[in-house]
Amino acid sequence: MFRISGGEVYDPLHGINGEKRDIYVRDGKIVAPEDVDQKHLEVIDASGLVVMAGGVDIHSHIAGSKVNIGRKIRPEDHRRDPVPRSQVTRSGVGYTVGTTFVNAYRYARLGYTTIMEAAVPPLKARHTHEELMDTPLIDKGCLILMGNNNFILRHIGSGDYDKIRNFVSWLLHACKGYGIKAVNPGGIENWKWGKNVAGLDDLVMGYGVTPRQIITTLIRVNEELGLPHPLHLHCNNLGLPGNYQTTLETMKVAGQSRLHLTHLQFHSYGGESMRNLSSQAPVLAEYINEHENLSIDVGQIIFGEVTTMTADGPWQYTLYQLSHNKWANSDVEYETGAGIVPFLFKRDNPIHATQWAIGLELFLLIQDPWRVILTTDHPNAGPFFFYPQIIKLLMDKKYRDEMLASVHERASCTLLSQIDREYSLYEIAIITRAGPARRLGLRHKGHLGVGADADIAIYPKEVDAEWMFSNPRYVFKDGLLVVKDGQIVTDYMGRSLLVETAWEESIAEEIGKEFDRFYSISLENYPVELDYLPRYEVIPCR
Amino acid sequence: MQVNGVEIEDTFAEAFRMVGSRILITACSRQWALQAATTMTGFATSVIGCGCEAGLEREVEPEETPDGRPGTSVLLFAMSKKSLADQLIKRIGQCVMTSPTSACYNFLESSETVLVGGKLRYFGDGYQISKLLGGRRFWRIPVMEGEFLIEESFGVQEAVGGGNFLILGQDLESTLRATERAVAEIGKVRGVITPFPGGIVRSGSKVSSKYKFLRASSNTPYCPTIRSLVDSQLSEAVNCVLEIVIDGLEKTEVGEAMRVGIRAACLPGIVRISAGNYGGALGQYHFYLRDILGGTLG
Amino acid sequence: MDKVILRLKERSNIPVEAEAICPDLFLTKSQQEIEELALYYGNKGRRLGDFFQVQGERSDNIVIEGEIPNFKKIGQGMSRGNIHIQGDVGMHLGALMKGGRILVEGNVSDWLGAEMEGGSIRVKGNAGHLVGAAYRGSSRGMRGGEIIVEGDGGSEVGELMRRGLIVIGGRAGDFVGAFLIAGTIVVLGPVGLRPGAGMKRGTIVAFQEPDLLPTFHYNCLCQLSFLRIYLHHLREEDLNIPQEYLGGFYKRYNGDTLELGKGEILVWAGQVA
Ligand SMILES: [Zn+2]
Repeated sequence: MFRISGGEVYDPLHGINGEKRDIYVRDGKIVAPEDVDQKHLEVIDASGLVVMAGGVDIHSHIAGSKVNIGRKIRPEDHRRDPVPRSQVTRSGVGYTVGTTFVNAYRYARLGYTTIMEAAVPPLKARHTHEELMDTPLIDKGCLILMGNNNFILRHIGSGDYDKIRNFVSWLLHACKGYGIKAVNPGGIENWKWGKNVAGLDDLVMGYGVTPRQIITTLIRVNEELGLPHPLHLHCNNLGLPGNYQTTLETMKVAGQSRLHLTHLQFHSYGGESMRNLSSQAPVLAEYINEHENLSIDVGQIIFGEVTTMTADGPWQYTLYQLSHNKWANSDVEYETGAGIVPFLFKRDNPIHATQWAIGLELFLLIQDPWRVILTTDHPNAGPFFFYPQIIKLLMDKKYRDEMLASVHERASCTLLSQIDREYSLYEIAIITRAGPARRLGLRHKGHLGVGADADIAIYPKEVDAEWMFSNPRYVFKDGLLVVKDGQIVTDYMGRSLLVETAWEESIAEEIGKEFDRFYSISLENYPVELDYLPRYEVIPCR
Repeated sequence: MQVNGVEIEDTFAEAFRMVGSRILITACSRQWALQAATTMTGFATSVIGCGCEAGLEREVEPEETPDGRPGTSVLLFAMSKKSLADQLIKRIGQCVMTSPTSACYNFLESSETVLVGGKLRYFGDGYQISKLLGGRRFWRIPVMEGEFLIEESFGVQEAVGGGNFLILGQDLESTLRATERAVAEIGKVRGVITPFPGGIVRSGSKVSSKYKFLRASSNTPYCPTIRSLVDSQLSEAVNCVLEIVIDGLEKTEVGEAMRVGIRAACLPGIVRISAGNYGGALGQYHFYLRDILGGTLG
Repeated sequence: MDKVILRLKERSNIPVEAEAICPDLFLTKSQQEIEELALYYGNKGRRLGDFFQVQGERSDNIVIEGEIPNFKKIGQGMSRGNIHIQGDVGMHLGALMKGGRILVEGNVSDWLGAEMEGGSIRVKGNAGHLVGAAYRGSSRGMRGGEIIVEGDGGSEVGELMRRGLIVIGGRAGDFVGAFLIAGTIVVLGPVGLRPGAGMKRGTIVAFQEPDLLPTFHYNCLCQLSFLRIYLHHLREEDLNIPQEYLGGFYKRYNGDTLELGKGEILVWAGQVA
């Protein structure tokens, strides 16, 4: 039980913009002043400090099968970044594909307390949850890959919509998932034949359905089930020149329905070839500005080492051919696939510099901060611990222009230099916590109102935003002090965030037949049991 | 001044600043190392007409070559770094690479270099192989007989071209004999070559002509057959003149070559030793014959 | 010449992480500062002075007296100077080094000169596995410099090597030059299994008939000028290179054709064709 006293509070959900407010915490929740015993109240002096809710990452890859493949093929990544243990923490390694514990510590040390693992193949859900059990401090949820699932594709073909909804509902239950994720719908299935899809109306081989049908169906299921988070979509044609047209068409497919487009930076390209890849961010930003049903996260490029990993197998193969780097491909039976390729984003590379500028254009040209969310698609476009650098780029026009001048001149072909907008702390609080929490349907996160989880980050107020957001003075998780002055001071296990939806029992029988014929494991071993999770919380549907 | 009764005229040789290089050719035998050198230095008498001036400096013993085979050292001079590189690429490409068992190395340490093997490597059509040993890069180019090995870059330095002297004699026989002896002695000096046939020029030139389309013409003041028709430099006793032209990497070496050459040429039947110049206005180096023989260089 | 002599006080089997023994560091340090340099003894932090009697200061010439097969990472990343080790020494000697010279009178353990970029290492005894190799996961091993081991070498000599020269005077283990990218490996003794597996470019020279993978193809019998240069260089380094090797013929195999196939294994075939 304590009071955070005298801090400058940024709580956009409640319109609090830097005013001095006291915040009361009891039993892991934020409570009203009258609900605490003022006499036995510990006081955290936050005068001169900035108080925000804990950060929420809507899209990151920190656990599961492909993260682990990334770890396995990159011992050099770890060798350069050893992390010794402390009294409280375990030892481990970074850098781009860090160990579970190190990832958790580093998130907490940024003031982030909730992370969505953005791509979980159903078959690998157990593995993913096992890794998340070793990812302490933070709360975490799993987005379940469904855009290339055999059962779904087959029943789109046969038009049996109810069956699909039942199946999706059952699958979320079996995976202990939080939401629906679709990656390059149809493309990954075609990759099993060495092919891809080039547009929304290409056929998925063996099913006779199209990416358009898959997206439409999954949006409809998502909305009918009332899931807290809209469909989380990685569009077709990621990374390819001219792909903005596919992206724009995909947005139109959504109509008035909610849709979240992830790492939009990778989907905002003009040009006909890699040589003349250009920015179409303004066009997409304009469309998003006019359509409130849409939200995006950016997937901002950070110059330096990354490990690209996505279910988008065909794209990863292309990237392997472009980079001549090592490559791992993974095929997840009837469900999805994955590819992993280490990569280096270079300042002096015209394409990389353009990609970097495109990400910033999206941040700055999309007017409503509630619908643009800060991500680096960790570890694809950059490691998450560079978020403070992005914040500085957004808040400081001078710094942004200096960096623009230091990268390849091709980046200047974008609008970036002409944009004067600078984010305020209030807006930063939106794109890093309030916005993602709202978009995830996490009503008790991302804000500091009564009833919210006491996930709180307190930063020193500094001119250099990068330094400020890298060095929170205090971070609380569920009211526990977990970070103090840059050090992890408490070992604590966060919760797994789940949804519960209903399905008809009859679906289980049909799935069973499928399993007997085609799966490498039996149905009985497939669903992750609830008591498998050390701590969990069911988030209500809409 | 007289040497062995031969008059040394009080004049000077006028020489020019050039850019020089030294390359080492090795082969399976002396014969083939010499063959490649001879071919490479063919048609390289005068930079005006041939693009460069080149000649065999000396034979190199196997103990002294990097691959332990017999070798030849060739000096090559041109008016600029660029034209020297151009000539090296052409001549090594056409005359050394084509010569059986040859390999070709830089033999001049210098801070300035030009790419030679680094260009010729493309002849390998993608099958060329690079090797780096002790800071030197070599290229292995597959050829029909096996492999041609050439160093990537060759040292170049400022050099001296056109050191010379004229041997004025009573008759052809004694003049030619004296000139041959002079060439033989110059051949023992390191760092110099005599680029003309057998080291000798019989048709020296002056920088003027009655014809507009020519910039140079026969050195008529030294042509005995028209002695009374021109403003001749010859006395009645002179019936034959031969010239030796010397190029060298260093000024001192050119001077030394002139010294031993003139001394060797002062034989019976020789009337006078002179030298070619243009009044001193064109060349950067002036070699005064009397200073050279007296042991001091002008 | 000024030097710093380190005399081992007591032999131990517990591994010591000794990257602090590096000419670049010693150059500016007094004797006392050298004694205070930190080393890990197992998982315990210790001072250099706990292990060695230090004589001399402020020199990039280091002489180590005593048997130190448990000392790892000596000369790691060094860029200058000399290290003369009079006995046996442990793993990672001269790894990542950029310049300078290391001389070992005894034997060395694994990862000798791993990922080194320049300088030279001479070992009079035997070396362990992965001489001049890439650390696991790295895209490139040795990137320059020279390693000469007069005795035997272990497995994966020059794995993923990119540039430079490795010479093994005796026998080399399996996978010599595996995944070789470029560079030259000369093995004077027998060669183990699968030499050059996965090599793209580069040269492996063998003087005893190796067992080659089927993805290596015979080209011809040849005499190669570049090889004479290399062998001459080794003679200058006081290695025993018989005249027959210089004048002899070599069978040229190219491979690994599963990769680029532009690598070569040259096998000495005797003095006459
Ligand atoms: Zn992602």
